[in-house]
Amino acid sequence: MPIPRRALVAAAVALVLPLSACGSGDDGGGSTDASGKVEGDITFQTWNLRANFKPYFEGVIADFEKKYPGTHVKWIDQPAEGYADKISADAAGGTLPDVVNVSPDLVAPLAKAGLALDLDKAAAQYKKEYLDGAWASHQIPGMTGTYAFPWYLNTGPLFYNKSLFKEAGLDASKPPTTYDELFADALQLAKKSNGKVATLANVPTIEDFGRYGVELMNKEGTGFAFNDAKGVELLTKYKELYDAKALDPQALTATPESSGKKFLTEAVAMNPGSALDLGNFKKQAPNLYKNIGITDQITSTGKVNMYVMGVMVNSRTKRTPAAVAFAHYVTDAQNQMSFAKKVAIFPSTAGSLDDPYFSKEDGTDETRVRIAAAKSLKNAVNYTPVLFSEQMKTALRNEVAKALQGKESPKAALDNAVKACDRLLQQQG
Amino acid sequence: MASSTTAAEVRRPSRARRPSRAPRPLRVRRHLPTSPWLFAAPGLVITGVFILYPFVSTLVNAFTDRRTLIPGKFVGLANFRELLHDDMFWIGLRNSTLYVLGVVPALVLLPLLLALLVQKNIPGITFFRSAFYTPVVASIVVVGLIWVWLLDERGLVNSLLETIGVGRVGFLSDQWLLLLSAMAVTVWRGLGYYMIIYLAALANVPRELHEAAMVDGAGAVRRFFTVTVPAVRSTMVLVGALSSVSAFKVFSEVYLMAGPDGGPAGEDTTLVMLVQRTGTGLTGRVGYASAISVVVFVVTVVLMLLVLRADRKEEA
Repeated sequence: MPIPRRALVAAAVALVLPLSACGSGDDGGGSTDASGKVEGDITFQTWNLRANFKPYFEGVIADFEKKYPGTHVKWIDQPAEGYADKISADAAGGTLPDVVNVSPDLVAPLAKAGLALDLDKAAAQYKKEYLDGAWASHQIPGMTGTYAFPWYLNTGPLFYNKSLFKEAGLDASKPPTTYDELFADALQLAKKSNGKVATLANVPTIEDFGRYGVELMNKEGTGFAFNDAKGVELLTKYKELYDAKALDPQALTATPESSGKKFLTEAVAMNPGSALDLGNFKKQAPNLYKNIGITDQITSTGKVNMYVMGVMVNSRTKRTPAAVAFAHYVTDAQNQMSFAKKVAIFPSTAGSLDDPYFSKEDGTDETRVRIAAAKSLKNAVNYTPVLFSEQMKTALRNEVAKALQGKESPKAALDNAVKACDRLLQQQG
Repeated sequence: MASSTTAAEVRRPSRARRPSRAPRPLRVRRHLPTSPWLFAAPGLVITGVFILYPFVSTLVNAFTDRRTLIPGKFVGLANFRELLHDDMFWIGLRNSTLYVLGVVPALVLLPLLLALLVQKNIPGITFFRSAFYTPVVASIVVVGLIWVWLLDERGLVNSLLETIGVGRVGFLSDQWLLLLSAMAVTVWRGLGYYMIIYLAALANVPRELHEAAMVDGAGAVRRFFTVTVPAVRSTMVLVGALSSVSAFKVFSEVYLMAGPDGGPAGEDTTLVMLVQRTGTGLTGRVGYASAISVVVFVVTVVLMLLVLRADRKEEA
């Protein structure tokens, strides 16, 4: 049967119409001027926070709406898994919320695509409220401006299993404090347990190279440099650990979650964590909790690693004043302090870490961890370069795995990793 | 009912004889050419939006350097040239091909044997029929996690191996054992599904053929090869085609067991995993991932054609 022309036209229109919504969403966007009246409906997206902090966020939103009559904040929470994919789908589809919870590595591609508002232009008056390092954490090499309000910071100690240390003939009251001590203790633990107890469960990440004192990028921020002698030295040490089973044999395919489980089941002796983990140990592994040891992160630079969360304003928002006002409200000193009292995180606002909550001992382990973390945060560094994408992390992990398996020398593996990361960096534009 | 009205008259009723209030036949005829399209429209729109458009879009993107947030420009065959020099692409192609070679023969043969087993009316066989089908309906994520726990260094399987003196085996840390373990899960999961297809085919095999072969003195093995296999040969081809396409496109089993990086040093990465890893995220290379997808599509079509051609040769 011949297809009637009208039917063809109708089918084509029906096909094309829905697709017209699939564009890049590049509709010119909103204004960078945040000085107008704070009003209108905005959307706020958080990263896996609803399950545990629903009342807190509902309170913050209600207070904001009360402070600025005529505003309405719709709160969306996304699960931790696939958060970057969700943001990229929204960004590509033009449905990115007005205010978004981001980390520095997430904000970098959004800023490059022109989707993150430059706060140095739109909200420069708030800069002094935050710690200098925290404000700088959302600046992108090669670009001018700051693309997110700093929100909460996190760092944590190194947990160790005292009973496994004792069984290996080590002094459980003297955990390793330097890399040399860590490697020596790890080898002894593996030897005494006939390779059944590993000390570490993860291969070295970019953050580990940074903490070991390796220069991660060149000074211009245009290329990676972690294949220097120091980087090769660290990877060579890890290779020794892997061969001796002091590094878990499944470390090559491990994730932070799987290594956390290995520590819980007492298959590995040490694991990095945060004050939040103590509650998990108490609940899920009471036997481990009785034997838990807490020590500082090991670092050759004197500066521990910190994780930074930020709150970004979508540059395409139609309600720039309201979006900027809300992003600032969520991250201001008062709200950050009240959030920090609900969960083991640390405020990025200037002076907040001097609060007695972060300095006064009460005899509990939780407080001890909190005080130590707050103290170390004053000169902590976010070692992961802002431009270090997921693809780069995979490239590094794969090359590190080849070195640990003996398929490549540590030097060749790091050279290849740097080459791959540089190529990806150039492709990012 | 007898009637003197001819068919031509029915098709062209005269104005004088047509009931004045019922011009229905004429209206139906006027709308006849477009009506089928209206009925087909929902299906066509869904196919167009969710299959045709993504397919064409992938084809177009394969020739651009498009990234997640940055629209690309035309780069000709650059992505395909890059594929040739990308070690990870060759690793993916190797693993996907090995997966087909390892999984397909098992999925063609084992479900047939299983179907022959459960076809018999033995007391309690209904339970086994359901039990064999359970992995098909179970969530792949749940299934994957269970197998990860079983095959872990400290899992049940390794504990048993250690008890009998074999020692621990690195099912999840050795690249080849990891791939084999993932294949085993795929086979275990597919058994029930293909068993049902074979059960339907076996129900159509005439009992007389078996009885005649028995009278001629053929044993069980002989009857299997001379009666059962020829009778279900076309079903075996279908199972071979379906399982080879899904084996080449494997993702979930390897992703869950080997992790997002595709095993140690990415050595267990399959082509579809590579598409996911390359093309997703805020810095995803959509153009390059599309080029890999095009290769997957072409290989899949070639695989189907090969299986069908082999079947035609057999028939000839």
